[in-house]
Amino acid sequence: MTGSRIAAIIRKDFREFSRNRFFVFITLLVLVAYVAVFWFLPDSVDETVRIGVSNTILSTDVGGVTESGTAGFALEIYASEEELAAAVEEGRDGIVAGISFPPDFLESAAAGEASTVVLLVPAGLPAEIELLLEGAVAELAFGLAGVPPPVDPITEAVVLGTDRAGNQVSLQQQMRPLILILVLMVETFALSSLIAIEVQQRTAVAILATPVRIVDFLAAKGIFGIGLAFSEVVLLGLLIGAFAVNAPAVLMILLLGAVLVTGFGMIAGSYGRDFMGTLLVSMLFMIPLMIPAFGALFPGSSPTWVMALPTYGLVQALIRVTADGETWSQIAPSLLLLAAWGVATFVAGAFILRHRVATL
Amino acid sequence: MNLHRSWYVLSRELKLSPRSPLVFFAIAMPLLITFLVSSVFGSLFDVSPKLAVADLGNSEITAAAVHLDGVETTIVADVETLRRRVEAHDFDAGFVLPPGFDASIRAGEQPELEFYVSGASLASTRIILAVTTLDLVREIEGSEPPVTVVVTPVGNQDFVPISDRLLPTMVIYAVMIAAIFLPAASLVDEREKRTLDAVLVTPTRMSDVLVGKGTFAVVLAVILGFVTLALNGALAAQPLTMTLILFIGSVMLMLMGLTLGLWAKDITTMYTAIKGGGIIIFLPVIFTIFPGLPQWIPKLVPTYYFLQPIYDIAIHGDTLSDVVPELAIAVVVCIALVPLVVWVARRSERQLAMTV
Repeated sequence: MTGSRIAAIIRKDFREFSRNRFFVFITLLVLVAYVAVFWFLPDSVDETVRIGVSNTILSTDVGGVTESGTAGFALEIYASEEELAAAVEEGRDGIVAGISFPPDFLESAAAGEASTVVLLVPAGLPAEIELLLEGAVAELAFGLAGVPPPVDPITEAVVLGTDRAGNQVSLQQQMRPLILILVLMVETFALSSLIAIEVQQRTAVAILATPVRIVDFLAAKGIFGIGLAFSEVVLLGLLIGAFAVNAPAVLMILLLGAVLVTGFGMIAGSYGRDFMGTLLVSMLFMIPLMIPAFGALFPGSSPTWVMALPTYGLVQALIRVTADGETWSQIAPSLLLLAAWGVATFVAGAFILRHRVATL
Repeated sequence: MNLHRSWYVLSRELKLSPRSPLVFFAIAMPLLITFLVSSVFGSLFDVSPKLAVADLGNSEITAAAVHLDGVETTIVADVETLRRRVEAHDFDAGFVLPPGFDASIRAGEQPELEFYVSGASLASTRIILAVTTLDLVREIEGSEPPVTVVVTPVGNQDFVPISDRLLPTMVIYAVMIAAIFLPAASLVDEREKRTLDAVLVTPTRMSDVLVGKGTFAVVLAVILGFVTLALNGALAAQPLTMTLILFIGSVMLMLMGLTLGLWAKDITTMYTAIKGGGIIIFLPVIFTIFPGLPQWIPKLVPTYYFLQPIYDIAIHGDTLSDVVPELAIAVVVCIALVPLVVWVARRSERQLAMTV
């Protein structure tokens, strides 16, 4: 393996890549679009259900619920039912529904007499919010009537895992690893196209007719692919603030991710007979590889089959560092899994490409 | 233009299509997108609180919890599983019903209820599940609250759930791949492989080729659009109207596809143009998903004028007469695109003549 020969092939690949100005322009444009979308996403999580009430009956502490509300539940006071109805209709002050108490509610409830409370609900109010409102009104009435709750799941709840109340992972934070992985995946296609063109136009044969050996050719393709994917994803990472926490770990994860997608790029490029064939093979790889990233948007643990996908380690490691701020030792299992998949895929890609070039 | 020769080009496209990865791509992608959008993204935006119950004593509360509207309740085998899965945020919260819990409640006692919440669950979700649990226990207790709750709907009740708002996304995917990508890629591919040169030295003219390829793209796009609507139960008992709208939309996109295919110098340029310009074509669907955004913006994009009628008919129950103004604009856009296609075709013909 000779460094100068490898460098010459890399220079040629880079020239071909950058020669198409339109391609470069759109690649940058897409990068800008990703960044714009990222910063457009909400950077905080509103954990509070805001409810309007038409009376100031809650000016005193009743069962732990006051005008200031409680954790996850806030109240806005309106002077009349009409004003409350208008506020609910317009979604004013962020309220999602309203409770209109009759003027004699306190007295009636305290005397154990049934009174009527009106819930003002807009279209599309989630059923669980209605459950909350009905339950809250009932508990309020029970409290005023002096009937204690048989159980107390509100104050006696046991929190399992890191308590994120008030410090939830925002959609922006959730999307950060997803966007980085999306760009890495797209690079699978970019690299596979470059390789497919080399195979289709048989320029690989021309190159190998020179003193360049197959191992130089494969090394050059690998280095160029990793460099292309890594530089683009690092640039994007800088623009979306992915290096704010444990930058060396993020860089290592992205580098291993670049190795992984380069391996898939080499496989897809070897099998693609033309542009559409290459696109199709790339898509066949990209779709399952994206599943762990999309799965991470959903709460809960991933199914076992998702854990078996090559990008699972990449997604987990990125999320744990960027969203949870975990350390090297904490992400070590995910990192090792990613490294194993990266090396295996890269070796498989190089082997398949070698075989393909040899049969040209 | 000669219709006989156009038919020849069309039949050639039909004959080659089973072997074409592009046609496979055009057919498979809408089905995949329909699956992803309806099963994955729909639930992403529409998340109900998740509650787990470990019932160790055959409590009536469990049956009531399973039937809760707006809360996804799962019964788990034991306390260990419940704790582990709540901690992993598979559930927002969970509670354990020990043996004899119901009897204890009915006896007026205050038994201990193990109630676990996931650290990653929202504060609002925690309070919803806590109040709901309390309500379930109150039912067993048998005590009636000294209050009657009357639910009164307020304002416009015309609410469209997120799963329905995603319909245009699925339709645009189905139609776009067949109507834009297929003719554009086919033209570029034929130019790159010089088979177009071979065809044009016969009496077949460029216009015959474009009509043949365009017809194939439109037929496939209409079929895929129709299948997508049918799969989503969105034909709204107006299949003919939907077919007409899909036809107009497919023609519009096909004309864009032909223009792109004639303009792009190679397949990479074409793909890159779709990658970059796709956002404009997709713009209306973003505004349908997020109705709070200013709704005048999507009206600047041609695809709005066939996507909106489909949406209005499928979701709001409109009829053809209601959507005529939008469709008329879509037809005008189609007519306006024809001279552009002709101009690019002539330019392309001149370039081919120079290279032959």
